[in-house]
Amino acid sequence: MADQQTIKVSIKRQASPDAKASTETFEIPYRPNMNITSLLGEVALNPRTVSGVDSTPITYDSNCLEEICGSCAMLINGKAMMACSALVDKLLGAAEHGQKPDLSKTITLAPLSKFPVVRDLAVDRSVLFENLKKVKAWVPVDGSYDLGPGPRQVPQIQEQRYPLSNCISCTICMEVCPQFNDATGFVGAATIAQTKLFNMDPAGKVLKEERLRALAGDGGIQECGFAQNCVQACPKQLPLTEAISDIGRDVFVQQVKDFFTR
Amino acid sequence: MAAAAPPAPPSSAPLRGVQPLRAGEGHSFFWRRLHSLSGIVPIGAFLVEHIVSNFEMLNGPMAYAKQVLFLNSLPLVRVLEWSFIFIPLAFHALYGVFIAVRGRSNVNVYPWAGNFGYLMQRVTGIIALLYIAYHVATQRFMGTNLPEHPGAAFAKVQHELANPVILAVYVIAMIATCWHFAYGIWLFAAKWGITPGTEARKKFGYVCGAIGTVLCVMGLTAIYAVVVKYPNAPEDVMPEVPAGVSRVAPVVAPRDLKAPLQVAVR
Repeated sequence: MADQQTIKVSIKRQASPDAKASTETFEIPYRPNMNITSLLGEVALNPRTVSGVDSTPITYDSNCLEEICGSCAMLINGKAMMACSALVDKLLGAAEHGQKPDLSKTITLAPLSKFPVVRDLAVDRSVLFENLKKVKAWVPVDGSYDLGPGPRQVPQIQEQRYPLSNCISCTICMEVCPQFNDATGFVGAATIAQTKLFNMDPAGKVLKEERLRALAGDGGIQECGFAQNCVQACPKQLPLTEAISDIGRDVFVQQVKDFFTR
Repeated sequence: MAAAAPPAPPSSAPLRGVQPLRAGEGHSFFWRRLHSLSGIVPIGAFLVEHIVSNFEMLNGPMAYAKQVLFLNSLPLVRVLEWSFIFIPLAFHALYGVFIAVRGRSNVNVYPWAGNFGYLMQRVTGIIALLYIAYHVATQRFMGTNLPEHPGAAFAKVQHELANPVILAVYVIAMIATCWHFAYGIWLFAAKWGITPGTEARKKFGYVCGAIGTVLCVMGLTAIYAVVVKYPNAPEDVMPEVPAGVSRVAPVVAPRDLKAPLQVAVR
C-alpha cells in the first residue's frame, strides 16, 4: 500500500437544498484509465477525507454510466462535463493516450451552478422538462381509436433529425450559456433543438405553429446571445447553433404571419 | 372534450432557480428583434454614411465642409436626424444596456471564440455608448452649431482632437464601434436564420471582418487627416454661407467655395 499511487479529489458538498455548502478533499488509489464515475466509486468505498474525518459517499445522479442517459453532468475542474465520459488521466494533464498524468494535481468536482442543488452533486433539472412541455416536444399520436400507420419519413429528413435526436437532456448547454440565468429565464439550447426535431417530424409538425409561438414568449429564443458555448460543450455534438438559427427564422416568420393573419 | 382538457398543471411547488419559458407571454421577442434590426438599419447604415462622409476629410477642410453642407441640405434633415439617428440610437443603446446587464459572461471558464465575441459585443457596445453620448453632446449640441456653419466642421474636430487624451478616446471608440457593427451584422445573420449552417457562418464571418476592417481603416484615416495631414485648418472655410435652416445648396455652394478651395488644397 505504501507505494500505491493516489490522487486527490476536492468535492463541493451540500447535505440538503438549503444547507450550507462545504468542500471535502479525498485521497483515492489511482488506476490508469479511470473516469469520474469510477473515482466517485472509490470515494464511496472509503469515504474518509484527507484530514481523517469519516464522511459519506457522494450523492450524484447517474444511471447508464456511458453518456447516454444524461444524468451525471457536473462541474469537473470548473467546467460542465459528464462524469462518465470525463477521463481522469486527461484531467490530470495526459492529453493523449500514453502520456503520463500528473498525479499531484487535484481534481475538483462541484454541482452544476445554475440549477438548485438537491444534495452534493445532484441538482434539480426540472426546468428543462418544464421547457420541453411548454414547446410540446412530442409527437401527438394519442387517440381513442387506432390512428393507423404514421406518415412516411423520408431519409433526407431523417438524416437531419437524427443528430438532434441524440440530445440526452444533460443540461450542459444551459449550464455553459451566459444567457441562461435568473435574470433572463432563457429557455436554453436543448429545448430549441428539440423544437426543431419535432417540427421536422412528419407527424409532429402539426404542432409546429404552437411550438414557434411558445418560443416567442419571454425567455424564448430571442434571449440567445449567440456565444455558441452550447455547441462547444454539448457532449453529444448536437448542431445546436444551427437549430437556434433555423428556429429563430421560423419563429420570426410565424410572428409576422400571426401579426397579419390572426 | 379530451382535446380541450389541458394536462394537469405541473407540481404545485414553484421551481427554484431559473424559471421555465413563459410560452407566448410578453413582448420581449419584438423588442429584442427590433434591437437587432435597428443596429443594422438605420444605425449601421448611418455609421457607414458617417465614416464615408468623414473620409472626405482626406481631401481637406473645404471638401469636408461641402459634405457637411450637402448632408444638412437634405430635405427634412432635422426630422431625418431624429427619426433615423437619435431615437433609434437611444433605443439601441438603452435596450443594449438592458441586455448586457442581464448576461452572465463566463469567458474566464469557457475561453472559446464565440464566448469572447459575446463579451466583446457587450464591452464594445458600452464603449460606443459612452463615446457616442460624449461625441453627440460636444460635436452636435455644444460649441459651433455645425448645421448652420458647415465650414467650421473641420476646425471644430481638429480643436477637439488636439487633446491627446481625446484623440486616444476617438481611436479606441472607432475600433470598438466598427467591431460592434461588424460582429453585429454577423450576429444578425446568425440569429435571424440567414446563415444557419456552420460553413455559412464561417464564410460570412470573413465578410463581416472585411467590412469592419475597411470601415475602421477609413475612420482612422479621417482622424489622420484631421490631426496630421491638414494642421491649422481655418476656423470656417465657408464664412459667407448665411446662417439659416434652409438654403439652396447647389447654386450657392460652388461659387462661394472657389477661392478658399485653392487655399486648402495647396
